[in-house]
Amino acid sequence: MMSRIWTIARGVVADSLRRKVVYIVFVFAALLAMAIPSLPSYGLGVEDAVYREVALALSFATALVLSLSLAANRVPSEVEHRTVYNVISKGVGRWEYLVGSWLGVFVVTCGAIAAFTAVEQVIAVLRYGDAMWQLWQGALAVWLEMGVIAAFAVAVSAITGPVVVVTASLAMLFIGHSRSTLVGGEGALALRPFYPSLDAFNVVNPVAHGSGIPVLYIVSMLVVFAGFVGLALAIGVALFSRRDL
Amino acid sequence: MDVVSTSAIRITGARKRYKPIVGAPERDAVRGVDIAVAPGTIHGLLGPNGAGKTTTIKMLLGLVKPSAGEFRILGEDSTCPQGRRRVGFMPEQPYFPQHLRADQALRLYAQLAGVPRHEIVERTSRLMERVGLQGREKTTLDAFSRGMLQRLGIAQALINDPAVVVLDEPASGLDPVGQRDIRNLMLELRGGGVTVLLSSHQLSEVEAVCDEVTIMNAGVVAAEGQLDALLNVEGRTSIRVRGLEAGLPPEVRDLAEDVAVSGGVSVFSVPDESVRAVVDAVDDAGGVIVSISPVRDSLEDYFARLLTRSAVEVGSR
Repeated sequence: MMSRIWTIARGVVADSLRRKVVYIVFVFAALLAMAIPSLPSYGLGVEDAVYREVALALSFATALVLSLSLAANRVPSEVEHRTVYNVISKGVGRWEYLVGSWLGVFVVTCGAIAAFTAVEQVIAVLRYGDAMWQLWQGALAVWLEMGVIAAFAVAVSAITGPVVVVTASLAMLFIGHSRSTLVGGEGALALRPFYPSLDAFNVVNPVAHGSGIPVLYIVSMLVVFAGFVGLALAIGVALFSRRDL
Repeated sequence: MDVVSTSAIRITGARKRYKPIVGAPERDAVRGVDIAVAPGTIHGLLGPNGAGKTTTIKMLLGLVKPSAGEFRILGEDSTCPQGRRRVGFMPEQPYFPQHLRADQALRLYAQLAGVPRHEIVERTSRLMERVGLQGREKTTLDAFSRGMLQRLGIAQALINDPAVVVLDEPASGLDPVGQRDIRNLMLELRGGGVTVLLSSHQLSEVEAVCDEVTIMNAGVVAAEGQLDALLNVEGRTSIRVRGLEAGLPPEVRDLAEDVAVSGGVSVFSVPDESVRAVVDAVDDAGGVIVSISPVRDSLEDYFARLLTRSAVEVGSR
């Protein structure tokens, strides 16, 4: 079972690495990271905090573009080109195919975020003489959140095309970070426990302006990640297993 | 044990009903289809476009969700993944990730099929050779011709040493030599005890290799059985004679139908019960009997007649 999932994931990684979008996004983001110190809001005395904040935002945007471009296309493209026939007819379960596809995207995103964070660190060392190791905590949060978004995108892509997937995923991202706006009022407080909030992954303040996040918080973040990814993929599998290929 | 319980492939009561979201009425692409394929045989699945062949195959392989029916391969439910582990499938079009090299594609499918790691390289090169693609292992698939992709499709279907192979139009896109290779490969597979379900439009191919056929039309089984039984014309025998330059003797002429003369050889059919008398008459007239065999339809003629008949039946309902 796991070997089939890994085989599919490796296929996604290999396919992703030959796509130009991965490298273009990475180079573009690295250039932007180098330009951060020239931002007009760059105030004296808080340069390093602002650098970390903008660097995290760049990591987030880069990872989002990458995750969505890969996750939104993978399943629809394989179904459209019918390459999925050779996979499913080999005795691979549809759920294994879907989970493997997600895992591949998740691994590629990991590599991209790690590389990008390393670039940001190099710039931090060169510019401030500080390695800013807490950037890795932010990178972890971004990676986990992208894992959730990718799982949602893969789930939606089980029944529809890339445009709908990207739109739905961006809507999910917006909703996920709008709990206080959408259900923050007095009368709606009872809904809060059911709200699909992604705020758990927002660690900009402690990483950019504080002293980082404690281990316990990281563990709790992993639990939220596992819950959302599990739920999204379960829905995706339920949808995909009903689909005629 | 009956035929059904010993079948390598058994489809019972297959039905696929498409339900449009709004408006148009429900449509049955396949209804009440039963197919039983004996182990170690080549079974042809024939039918015009839209007959439901591909939908039936897709239901058998878990690619399309059946509305009803039971699908078993080697006794296991083939709509579940574990029921397809000993199956090789080649779809009608050779679909592969175009950026892969041929050997990478085969290795990918070998891994998915659970081929032991240490066997993959050896099996890949053996199959590349078997389908006539030796020396092309390192070529990326976007540089492959349609025929080469078709051959690779057959290699991927065989990568897990399957006990049952399902081939959907395997000779499509191949030149005559390639078509002959595919026919030989199917016969080779049967010789090795592999069961082959062959869906094809090429009736000559089906006639050349299939032990039994199922003919589908408009989503139902229109005819099934052994080719000889389907194609033999009941009650008539075909006789070929030579040495009758003066024409057929009068007593033969009265009985003969479908007379054709070419190069000094006369071919005609007579009722089965008259064969002895006709042979004696030809002998007395100085002719030589070349062959005596049951009259056999061509598959093309049988197929066309059957489809016309079932179209009339469908129209009269």
